Amino acid sequence: MSKEVLERLKTKFGDRVDVVERSARRAYVTVANEDWIPVTRYMYEEERGRLCTATGSDRSTGVELLYHFGFDGGGTVVNVRTTLAKPFPKIGSLAKYYPAADFIEREIFDFLGVEFEGHPDPRKILSSHDRPADFHPMRRDE
Amino acid sequence: MSTTIPIGPFHPVLEEPEYITLEVDGETVLGADIDLGRNHRGMELLAEEKTYDQDIFLVERICGICSASHSWAASLAVEDIVGCEVPARARYLRTIVHELERLHSHMLWVGLAGHIIGYWTVFMWGWKYREPILDALEMITGNRQHYAWYRPGGVRRDVPDEIWPKILKILDEFDTKVDLLTGAILDDPVILGRLKGVGILTTEDAVAYGALGPTARGSGVDIDVRRDEPYGAYSEVDWNVIVQDGCDCLAVAVVRLLEMKEAVKIIKQCIEKLPGGPIDAGIRDVPRGEGIGHIEAPRGETFHFIRSNGTNMPERHKMRAPTFNNIPTFRPRVKGETISDALLCFAVIDPCYSCTERMTVLDPSGKMLLSPKDLLRLSHEKTEQIRRNS
Repeated sequence: MSKEVLERLKTKFGDRVDVVERSARRAYVTVANEDWIPVTRYMYEEERGRLCTATGSDRSTGVELLYHFGFDGGGTVVNVRTTLAKPFPKIGSLAKYYPAADFIEREIFDFLGVEFEGHPDPRKILSSHDRPADFHPMRRDE
Repeated sequence: MSTTIPIGPFHPVLEEPEYITLEVDGETVLGADIDLGRNHRGMELLAEEKTYDQDIFLVERICGICSASHSWAASLAVEDIVGCEVPARARYLRTIVHELERLHSHMLWVGLAGHIIGYWTVFMWGWKYREPILDALEMITGNRQHYAWYRPGGVRRDVPDEIWPKILKILDEFDTKVDLLTGAILDDPVILGRLKGVGILTTEDAVAYGALGPTARGSGVDIDVRRDEPYGAYSEVDWNVIVQDGCDCLAVAVVRLLEMKEAVKIIKQCIEKLPGGPIDAGIRDVPRGEGIGHIEAPRGETFHFIRSNGTNMPERHKMRAPTFNNIPTFRPRVKGETISDALLCFAVIDPCYSCTERMTVLDPSGKMLLSPKDLLRLSHEKTEQIRRNS
């Protein structure tokens, strides 16, 4: 199942996607910022992947987004990754097209300061409301 | 003019506290806004300062009810990085404890649902029948909750064979009680009147909102990680995924009741087939890499992602409990319902019910119109009304 998904993904997006299959059930796809919304939308709308959750992390290269798409029919997880430039990471919002991304994108905005353009409800979600607006606890900036 | 009803924010038992505001016009709910994070504990950052072994003790404290689920998912994520095979005996022991956890979690829900609709007998029965399951968990792991039982590579302690007859006896008795309770609930016209057709979550909404576990399966979405990506001993025993297409509160209740029967079946087969041998793969070092562990907790899929930098502590540990995905489904479910049914619409995703004791109705100036007790009373009165009319 995952193999077929990845083959179709490669056919559609060509060398704009870098696909690494770590095991029979786990694959990691890296895309550039401009291909983020086309690829993640494709995973949900065309391939019917289920957004299990998303991981945001502050790494030396920038703020990394990793969206985990579960394909329940085949028991696989395909992870789509992109890295955003600091200090003001910004990317299109998947929540606009897929409500399941709503809460988790708000969490990544809250903790890492990633601005999701077009998000239907761009508010903080977990950190205390009396914290300053630019306080993002998982950022590792000096 | 619409009125706002704030609910929450504190939920001492729930892993994800929530603050919900309902917009109502008279008795009818027009919409809902959900705000989490009033009791955020920063566990993802904490996990980065602990070793992989210590992490397990941390993640099982995400939730007292699902403590086996989180520790198993985190262990699977580490095993995914290492690429090791877990010994068969450990896989079976893990499955037994996990299914016992499902039994007590579902039974807890049945009891609390009974409380909300004013069926004290269901509440008393549910919680009474749950106790022996906690005793069984204590016999196996040493604790009623927070088992400290799972570890990356296997389980922490072995179990003497003489406890299994006692556990089987508990399960036999529990099985009879589940039948009794299922019959009592599904044959009761008043309970059916309260649950049937209430809190509709369509299949399309369940998929779009990423609903999980019984919440999704009650809306006809056929997903279950235990079958879809088999882990533990699930592929080696005979059981069924329970799916109902009613899309209402009754369908979710039926899923939970029938899943208890399946869980008993799974545990009995695991005890019967329990292999001998080692209980731990003996993981010593975790190499650089990324790993994912996801399992079917009682409320739905629990998801853990770990990135290792080759040290004995994770560089990033993402944890996502099922309620995080299930809470947004409350929005479409509660729309158009009455305030007395709003409680059920929360309860059906199996979050914490303490919120119902903290729910108040205020007018725009902040004056309290309905106290938490009033809201529970409204729900009980509706049950009484249906009872009188039936």
